[in-house]
Amino acid sequence: MNNTDKLGTVIKSDVLVLGAGGAGMCAALKAKESNVDVLLIDKCGIGWNGQVPIGGGILAYVYPEYAKKWAENVTRQSNFFNNQDWTFAFGNYMHKSTMDLAAMGLTFLKNKGDINILNWGPNIYVTLFDAPKSLVALKKTAKARGVKMMDKIYAIDLLKNDGRVVGAVGLGLVDGKTYLFNAKAVIIATGNCGYMHEKTYSSVLGEGPAMGYRAGAQLVNAEFGSSYVWGIKTLGKELMGIHFYLYLENARGEKIMGKHYPELMVGKHSVYTFDPRVIDAMQKEVKAGLGPIYLNLMGLSDAEVAGLAEDRVEGLTQLMANDTMKLLREKAGINPSKERMEMWARYLYGGGGLRIDINGKTTLDGLYAAGSASSNSWSGGGGGQGGLGVQSAAVTGFVAGENAAKYAGENSRLDINVEQAKGMIDRVLNPMKHKGDVDAAEVAYRVHEAVVPMKYNRQREASRMKEALGIVQDARNKLSRVQPRDFHDLARYHSADSMVIAAEFTYSAALMREESRAGHFREDFPQRDDKNWFKWITIEQRDGAPLLATLPVPVENYRWKP
Amino acid sequence: MAIRNYDRKKCNGCGICVACCPMDVLRIDTAAKKAVIQYPKDCVACWGCESFCPQGCFDVSPERGRGELVSPY
Repeated sequence: MNNTDKLGTVIKSDVLVLGAGGAGMCAALKAKESNVDVLLIDKCGIGWNGQVPIGGGILAYVYPEYAKKWAENVTRQSNFFNNQDWTFAFGNYMHKSTMDLAAMGLTFLKNKGDINILNWGPNIYVTLFDAPKSLVALKKTAKARGVKMMDKIYAIDLLKNDGRVVGAVGLGLVDGKTYLFNAKAVIIATGNCGYMHEKTYSSVLGEGPAMGYRAGAQLVNAEFGSSYVWGIKTLGKELMGIHFYLYLENARGEKIMGKHYPELMVGKHSVYTFDPRVIDAMQKEVKAGLGPIYLNLMGLSDAEVAGLAEDRVEGLTQLMANDTMKLLREKAGINPSKERMEMWARYLYGGGGLRIDINGKTTLDGLYAAGSASSNSWSGGGGGQGGLGVQSAAVTGFVAGENAAKYAGENSRLDINVEQAKGMIDRVLNPMKHKGDVDAAEVAYRVHEAVVPMKYNRQREASRMKEALGIVQDARNKLSRVQPRDFHDLARYHSADSMVIAAEFTYSAALMREESRAGHFREDFPQRDDKNWFKWITIEQRDGAPLLATLPVPVENYRWKP
Repeated sequence: MAIRNYDRKKCNGCGICVACCPMDVLRIDTAAKKAVIQYPKDCVACWGCESFCPQGCFDVSPERGRGELVSPY
């Protein structure tokens, strides 16, 4: 037994993929095509984890001959704030990635044997796939092709040697063991931060960006991406359908949308579950003391309710609305035609991620990132279309997998640096020595108090964001009084830690950006300011503290110029 | 608690709930071949077990094991 073996169970591979959701699974499958040894690990059980199985099963699609025009449209929508190289590559890759996913076993809705490509709007297309079984299908293929997998391993920190990432430290959630993974290349695909606040994004808690940051990788776009949708409170779920907004009412029973957006009550409009106007109206009503907000479908027949969900996407939202109605009746015991349902604005997600180049590589050698753990600025706030999240996971996963495998093929293995590994393990296990009676859930709750309220995170303003940062600091103080009882608790401690980091970075970057752009709205700087803010904000560790810097958008090197 | 009802009788021990739980709330009792709620307070109401259980064993409510959801307003 050598010195490294004394520190924990050592497992070697060429490519190590952290996180087996959509992005990680695609990365592992693509890396394996280069015939390298690939190990895929996840804190959940592989096949049912991540965001894809619980999502809507929509995959964005762009016809290859339209890809260039698509990229140009996204560029113009984002006011040239996007990384055009990535946008262009992404647009071009979508057809191939869709075909690859089908070949890898993903079940698509088909029409006469071909994948059914549905028209969502002018030049906007999507395909539909079996979301709940998606990762099970891909796992089966990955297993057959020789991808190794380990379930219930919670990766916490990266191992480095000579400036290169050479692996990761993980905790076994079932056996309590410490694992040391040694690889030639590592891919972080653990998602961004959903703060375990609402359904769908409960499993992504910011671990990947946080461990990348601690290892010295750069993050980007932390101020963007925070979003709210309106949904059914008791079900923790949105209600897809374009006409439901007509039936939203306040506590007094007054219809709210006509009050604030009378133009929406005349003629036909498509108002989706993520339409900001609905959130605005709900927020105004609650502020005026007229909350909570309800969806009142009482007295409507099933056919009439189905009509509200009517959509141009060939019955897609109708299907989803029917599914929600079924869930309401069967699971929540609610009969929508007999009682009204409380609705609220659901906070979904924190933004940004590890900055990646066109090859999926982060700013550290040996480290790649994919999916929402990464940020390639492809959208720059443009390109609003269903299914882009999953497609982005697939494409960045394929790109990172291919390039990490190439790197692993061209570089020899660097051993684990025993001293560095020992330091990492000490850091991971150290909280067990804490004294205190705070539970990690209380830290998470405190973080929610900072990130969920719209007064902090939707209508941003300097003094309020400082207040929110104060709450985050309080959460960090509480964290020092969390005394984990066992390794399960220790994993929860580290989840809470990564959520604190995600919230800190979001507000630090949002405070720095003194303008409004895309999903970032500042009440005190309501205009877009291209003169001073045509640049991305990066975050990296310098002398133990986060250093925020700016990176001008290199538009002079891009295809399309303002 | 967030998992307000778990029908142990219906459980066939397939382990999908254990696989999809992001908080390691559920475990498998290998002797009885049944899922067990090991850490009930850690449930974050993601509805994974309820959504994916092929036997329909779970009933999840939005209230967490610890604390109400923070209001967005």
